[in-house]
Amino acid sequence: MAIACPVDLDTQVLRSEVSKIYSRVATDPDGDFHFHRGPAYAANFLGYDPAELAALPNECTASFAGIANPHTIAPILRGETVLDIGCGAGTDLLLAARRVGPSGRAIGIDMTEVMLDRVRGSAAAVGLTNVEVRRADATALPLADASVDVVISNGVLNLVPEKEKAFAEIRRVLRPGGRLQLADIVLDAELGEDVRCNIDLWTG
Amino acid sequence: MSFLRYLGFDDVRVAARFDCFRGTKKESTARKYGVLGANVFARKPMAHG
Repeated sequence: MAIACPVDLDTQVLRSEVSKIYSRVATDPDGDFHFHRGPAYAANFLGYDPAELAALPNECTASFAGIANPHTIAPILRGETVLDIGCGAGTDLLLAARRVGPSGRAIGIDMTEVMLDRVRGSAAAVGLTNVEVRRADATALPLADASVDVVISNGVLNLVPEKEKAFAEIRRVLRPGGRLQLADIVLDAELGEDVRCNIDLWTG
Repeated sequence: MSFLRYLGFDDVRVAARFDCFRGTKKESTARKYGVLGANVFARKPMAHG
């Protein structure tokens, strides 16, 4: 498995393109995209509980663009601290916040300010007071060592070119014994360098 | 999942796979490269260096 980024891939351009696409998902979730979005997709394709999704604001779930389901990997428990890397408009983050309850914490990071605003608004709308969001990059998590019980992420880390750095950060912030519940892309075979250098194929 | 083990995680397993690109504009590209969504579990070891 190639985890190193091709040396001639412009990672700043990639970050910019990713940020543009997902800002558009936040502001125009019904727009034209190469991936599915929304609560019906989450329930029908990925096994999310429709009732749990219906209890969240539409401005949160309409922009859901995950590709698997971190909540079905292992239970998220009351009192835990959960970090969602690339939380987007907050569907997974707010579901986690409900699971950990008032004695837990649900921390979301994203590099898209529009998405973070959506999370703040949605958390307030449903009365969740254990949610924090921070603008940050997956390769530099704004958290102390061993401060998190569970890291979740849904369809994000495949878009991070410096994967070794991102996973080193995940390992750093997890407490010993802590869990990574990752929802992301898997491939049948290793991609050639020409494919890995094509930013259009990274972003769709 | 060998890279997660290489990076120091234990108990690595793929828990489920999802055909998340079915019916999208990029379905044929996803099929070409065998792309699926997947649930992956891993754990930070209790004792680590």
